Amino acid sequence: MEEVKTISDLAQLGAGIAMGFGAVGAGLGIGIATKGLLESIARQPEIAGKAVGFFLVGAALAEACAIYALVIAMKLSGMMG
Amino acid sequence: MSEGHWIVNTVIAGHPMAFNMDTLLTMWAAMAFLIVVAFVVTRKLSIFPGKLQYVIEGLLGYFDGLIKSMINKDGEKHFPLIASLFLFIVTANLMGQLPLKMLELKHGEFASPTNDINMTAGLAVIVLVYYVTAGLIKKKGKFLLHEFSFVGIISMLVEILELFTRPLTLALRLFGNILAGEILIGALLGICAWGLPLPIMFFEILVACVQALVFTMLTTVYIASAVNEEH
Repeated sequence: MEEVKTISDLAQLGAGIAMGFGAVGAGLGIGIATKGLLESIARQPEIAGKAVGFFLVGAALAEACAIYALVIAMKLSGMMG
Repeated sequence: MSEGHWIVNTVIAGHPMAFNMDTLLTMWAAMAFLIVVAFVVTRKLSIFPGKLQYVIEGLLGYFDGLIKSMINKDGEKHFPLIASLFLFIVTANLMGQLPLKMLELKHGEFASPTNDINMTAGLAVIVLVYYVTAGLIKKKGKFLLHEFSFVGIISMLVEILELFTRPLTLALRLFGNILAGEILIGALLGICAWGLPLPIMFFEILVACVQALVFTMLTTVYIASAVNEEH
């Protein structure tokens, strides 16, 4: 295995770590949101249409955390200027 | 992709400026599309709406209800900004799914204009200026001020912090979602170009609509928090 030479090599590693930890939070968030959606639909099936709309917005908000991590990871790995 | 913008450097009145021409042109295309749609729809308004008028009226009626439920009864004066933000963002996002990449450019490629952070940051700054101005007009000097106590001072400091984080997250959320979709499609194209990116492209249509809705709803919430009285 090659030796880590420059700071930009470490930045690539940091990009991977940032994306990984960022995805944990978003995954947990969307999982909990889905749990809430299913419980509410099981309790009140007639509310399903309305609940799915709120769920999509909430899931998009939770997903945004992973997207912030993605932006940081792209910044670290030099894909953005 | 982000690194592939078609950048034109010019000097205007002694200031060096860089224009991302692909973003600019696709943004103007989205604006022209919306102006044409608005012109066509409002030509023959009738009490018994046609198909096009029915669709547009339903869409705008949804935002009318959203504003009335979130802000208050006289929140209708914020309707033009909120509805046009939604219409513009959803048009701009969906433009990314058109086969614009068939048009050859010297640098970069045509894509959705919202995959440029300058564009989304501009939209977020518009929202910031709007809701701060609306709050200042409504509450005069009491905007951002709470009762003089420990909790009041802490919440004022948090709100001052939010003046920075709100536009930042608005801009990054829209930009990141659209750009992440394009990167994902690009990565899947590299694996197998025959049909593999297709489900993700369908998913991106959903993401485009949901992100436009999220941007609009957050704008409504921010305006409501600036305008409404505390209880």
